[in-house]
Amino acid sequence: MANIVVDARGSSCPGPIVELSKAYRNAKVGDIIEVWATDPGIKADAKAWAEKTKNQIIEIKEEDGVIKVSIKIVSR
Amino acid sequence: MEVEKKKLVIVGCGDGGIMLSHHTFKDFDVTIIDKSTMHYFQPWQLHIAFAGAKEKKIEKKKLLPRGINFINKEVKSVDLANRKIIFDGGELSYEYVVIDTGSTGDYSKIPGHQELFNEFGDTHSDTAGAERLWSKVRSFSGGDAVIGISYPTYKCPPSPNEAVFLFEEYLRKHKLKDKTKITFITPFPRAYPAEPINEFVEKAMKERDINIITFFDVESIDTKNKTISSIEGDTVHYDFAALVPPHKGAGIVKDFSDDDGFVKTDRFKLNIGNYDDAFCMGDATNIQTSKSAVTAHIESGVISDRLRGIDSKFDGRTNCPFEFGYHKATFVISSYTEPAVKLKPSTTNYIMKLGMKYMAWQVLKGNMDWFFKIYFSITDPAKLNKKIK
Repeated sequence: MANIVVDARGSSCPGPIVELSKAYRNAKVGDIIEVWATDPGIKADAKAWAEKTKNQIIEIKEEDGVIKVSIKIVSR
Repeated sequence: MEVEKKKLVIVGCGDGGIMLSHHTFKDFDVTIIDKSTMHYFQPWQLHIAFAGAKEKKIEKKKLLPRGINFINKEVKSVDLANRKIIFDGGELSYEYVVIDTGSTGDYSKIPGHQELFNEFGDTHSDTAGAERLWSKVRSFSGGDAVIGISYPTYKCPPSPNEAVFLFEEYLRKHKLKDKTKITFITPFPRAYPAEPINEFVEKAMKERDINIITFFDVESIDTKNKTISSIEGDTVHYDFAALVPPHKGAGIVKDFSDDDGFVKTDRFKLNIGNYDDAFCMGDATNIQTSKSAVTAHIESGVISDRLRGIDSKFDGRTNCPFEFGYHKATFVISSYTEPAVKLKPSTTNYIMKLGMKYMAWQVLKGNMDWFFKIYFSITDPAKLNKKIK
């Protein structure tokens, strides 16, 4: 199990979700992928992505203008 | 007394490198190095593949300023710390270096992709690949057709959507539409990633009965059973397939190449790392903007300024022509700070896009700079977004 941080700060839509899917390509069941983004579009896109791939969003939080989405990989 | 010109080496003679050579040859001692002697008008591959058009090409030397030093060799590595360029059979030193080595399809990334390419060709390789696809288009008699994007890093963002629109137009014209199920696959959350343009794209795809599967990152291709599977868990069957391959950079810049071989580049200054004597442009950068000739065109102006000590910055400007079929097109005009302008597909835009085929070599030679200075100013995305809203 690994904790993978995807730093997509400064990248505009669809950059953050692209970085998430690239990380997912190499992820394993049990890994946590944490996406850092400044583009608000990541919230809706990550939810749609998790629904499609049947993975779990654990938390979406904002810290100092950075949106952090944590996703547990339960399906790969 | 004549001042000795500084030595500038441009690695890669793509659209951006050619344009930069015209901006700089009077003030710098310019050498340009490339493994190929021929220059192709790459957007035309789409028309070779879906309309049987003939290729458009020219010798690179004919596009370069007279007297410029052109070396026809493949560069193996660039060592920024020691200002050294290693190529087949020699090496060069420089005072300034600009990397313009472009991007190419990586068919090894996805199992089965090389076999699919060998059978069908595509619009992102070379003339032979595009002609192979055209032969498949011509012999297609109906069934499952899959067109799309295999991986999110690729050049010419609208081209896969353009391909599906041109194919649909071909099928309708040849009375094959009713016998075909067209599916467009994309790793993005929408049919086109930029929302304002996606509104037109999705509408046109729905009207033309094109099925869209989003979040489809190709994991493998089974050419025996004719299926394409995604990492997200979907599988589609194909009788005809045209996929844009994942793209990779040349991976030659020591210590500054990312996992896909693209050069780690400052998105505003276009410098590589902290080297103020090294720049990167066009498809070769890892900057998240459109990999297209227009981007390289604008970046060549920024780098030309910066080589002269002028503090110009790249604003992420895109201006990608986007053909919708049926003689309609739009342009994807955006920047780092401005979303894509909601520019409706029109016949006027289509004529402008087509005009690029005839203007291309003149644009590269800098003979249309006056026109583009006016054009880029009146199509500034901030101004257009204000106007259209």
